Amino acid sequence: MKFRKFLHTLPMKIYLILAAIVVFAFFSNDFGLVDIQKTAIILAAGIDKTENGFSVTAQIAVPKGSDRTTGGTSSVEIEAEGETVSDCISLIFAKTGWVPKLVFCDLIVIGEAAAKGEDIISHLNYFLRNDYMPDSCLLAVCEGKAGELISSASAIDDASSLAIEKLFSDAAQKSGMVAVSTLKDFAIGYYGVSESGFLPYIRMTEQQGGQSAGGDSESGGGSGANGGEESQKVYSAEETALFKKGKMVALLSREETFAFSLLRGKVFSGTLNATDGEKAVTLTVVRNKGGVALKMNNAPTAELSLSLTLRLCCRGVSASISDIASDSVSPEILGNVKQLLTEHVEKLWTTAKDAGCDLFMLQRTLYRRSLKEYAKWKDALLPAVRPLPKIELKSMK
Amino acid sequence: MKISTRQVLFFLACVAPVGKLILLPARLAEAAGNDLLFPFAMHYLLQAGAVFCALLLAKRGMNFSELLANTFGKIAAKVFMNIYALFLFFAALLPLLEQKLLVQSVFYDTLPSLVSFSPFFLFAAFIASKPLASSGQVCDLLAPIAIAGLAGIFILSAGSADLAALSPAFASGAKGILTAFRNGFGWFYDAAFILPFLGTFDYKKHLALKGTLCYLAGGAAVILFAGIFYGIFQETATNQLFAFTATSKFFSGISTLGRIDYLFIFLLSLVMAFYCALPLQAGVECLLQAYGRRRYLPTIFSVAVCAALLVVSQCTDYRFTEVLGAVGKQLFWIFPLFSVLVPALMLLLRRKRREIP
Repeated sequence: MKFRKFLHTLPMKIYLILAAIVVFAFFSNDFGLVDIQKTAIILAAGIDKTENGFSVTAQIAVPKGSDRTTGGTSSVEIEAEGETVSDCISLIFAKTGWVPKLVFCDLIVIGEAAAKGEDIISHLNYFLRNDYMPDSCLLAVCEGKAGELISSASAIDDASSLAIEKLFSDAAQKSGMVAVSTLKDFAIGYYGVSESGFLPYIRMTEQQGGQSAGGDSESGGGSGANGGEESQKVYSAEETALFKKGKMVALLSREETFAFSLLRGKVFSGTLNATDGEKAVTLTVVRNKGGVALKMNNAPTAELSLSLTLRLCCRGVSASISDIASDSVSPEILGNVKQLLTEHVEKLWTTAKDAGCDLFMLQRTLYRRSLKEYAKWKDALLPAVRPLPKIELKSMK
Repeated sequence: MKISTRQVLFFLACVAPVGKLILLPARLAEAAGNDLLFPFAMHYLLQAGAVFCALLLAKRGMNFSELLANTFGKIAAKVFMNIYALFLFFAALLPLLEQKLLVQSVFYDTLPSLVSFSPFFLFAAFIASKPLASSGQVCDLLAPIAIAGLAGIFILSAGSADLAALSPAFASGAKGILTAFRNGFGWFYDAAFILPFLGTFDYKKHLALKGTLCYLAGGAAVILFAGIFYGIFQETATNQLFAFTATSKFFSGISTLGRIDYLFIFLLSLVMAFYCALPLQAGVECLLQAYGRRRYLPTIFSVAVCAALLVVSQCTDYRFTEVLGAVGKQLFWIFPLFSVLVPALMLLLRRKRREIP
């Protein structure tokens, strides 16, 4: 009787066991085992153009201590030259015996010459094709060579890429000082009808009074960091490179980048400097609404609207305690800020327009609104459209 | 044991939609671009009509084979059941291969060994050897899992989507929409599942209408997902092969909490594993209706079919694009023929049961 009951329930038991096997096989991810002795976990890649193709410098996390390790991430930079980016990655494998793993690669930096020289999708298409590459990977352009930037010793973190990524944090974006773009965002802009995009532009400067990194920092394949003492670097990304058809066509200044962030409505707690009479004051943006509206009534017009609520953050001179206790911004300061922002917005517009970059995606807006209108204005829109800044400023009460 | 009306409706509303969430959105975006919702809607309307016809057949109280034999005789019915089983095994190939790609590409950081997916065939062979009525209980279990998985993916994805990217309508033109419609046939044959199930459930009040509405409700969820998917990836949507695993990773909390979306991806993948085994089970049922339910036949048929598909899946390992091209461009007509035309024409079969010698 018992045996019969067992036989009766046997199929369900087998079924559950098989279901468990399938679940294990599907979701085990090889139990998440990564042999880090055999795997190159690439944290960041720097891409430069060479005469015969490309040069890729990969920053690889290593599972052992080094002089740069202070309990955080230790890294080594490997450079390889090849005809394609994929070729370079394969050469890195050949040089080190480490299988390159891109799943943790959060930063790709393109050298300035490469960005200006040709369509950077030729540099990026390997990453777009790669199933293991995250689309949310940050993209940037840098002054000089990307390989040198990636190989530099950071004053603030163990690995340069980790220091650079801090510049692109949510908090940094909300400050309005940096315009961040990812692999996905850039590809959408590039393949869209506007064929335009932007990337943050990184500059590297020597840390004043900083310590020097030891001369035995790990590097291979002729990367920059070798021999002697290497000075520690700090990075800034307050400028923005503009792209048209994948080529870098202009560079937005710090002020233009801030105006761009304000127009995107992304700023919260960002600060801006203005004047109160002759004296400098700093204001905090506590609320930011921004947008660009394309109007096609008589002549095409781009309404660049900005609405800010500001509070007084700091004066460059001594102030009474009642003044310190008050956050409100005087109408005079608001007037100065309005004039300043109008100048920045107009300058931003001119820079983008002169470079032929559809930074505000006006062509895309028109395309989405009306195919007929788009066909009519397709190539003539950017030169014809007039900017109309509309800036409203309020003081926090 | 019979399948209840609830279980049929659960299948149509919750289980059937999950099979359209992997490759299909990118495949339709390839030809239709931002108009991808149109081919989706066209397929759903077509299949909803077929589902209505198939469910109406349940009114006659006969199973698939009996319905055919009642008009054409036993031999013709037997031949047709064999052909229909072949169709279902063929139809199983595409979801099976895409499921395999999904498991290998998404659940593994590096290329896994080719055998990683093989246990699925063991699982499918077991499911296919079970009577169809067992699928009813499976649907009872899968429906809440599918709802939870889809809801989670929607919640995590919706905020990242720019739905304005779906305009302007008809940008790809009639040619783009029709090409996408043709390319999508390989994923739409849900009405074909219902025919082998005839006789395992009773027709209750307005089942055909309720079933059609449930199927359309599931379709609406898929269309909404496709809209969100395109809103997130826009012009690069074609490059996103595993749609439902890709949309939720841009949720702002992911950077802090880690890939919590995998919880929902796993839930949907579990439902997909059963969905992939379903055409095999339905195909084996067709063979059983043709050859009778002798003791070891279900096991023999299911093991043979799964072994054959295992071989096919290994042989097509690096030829998925070719399979996709063949199914989408050359053999697409097979799907509407068996899943739309057959249920519709079967309504014309003799209604009254006659004595079959």
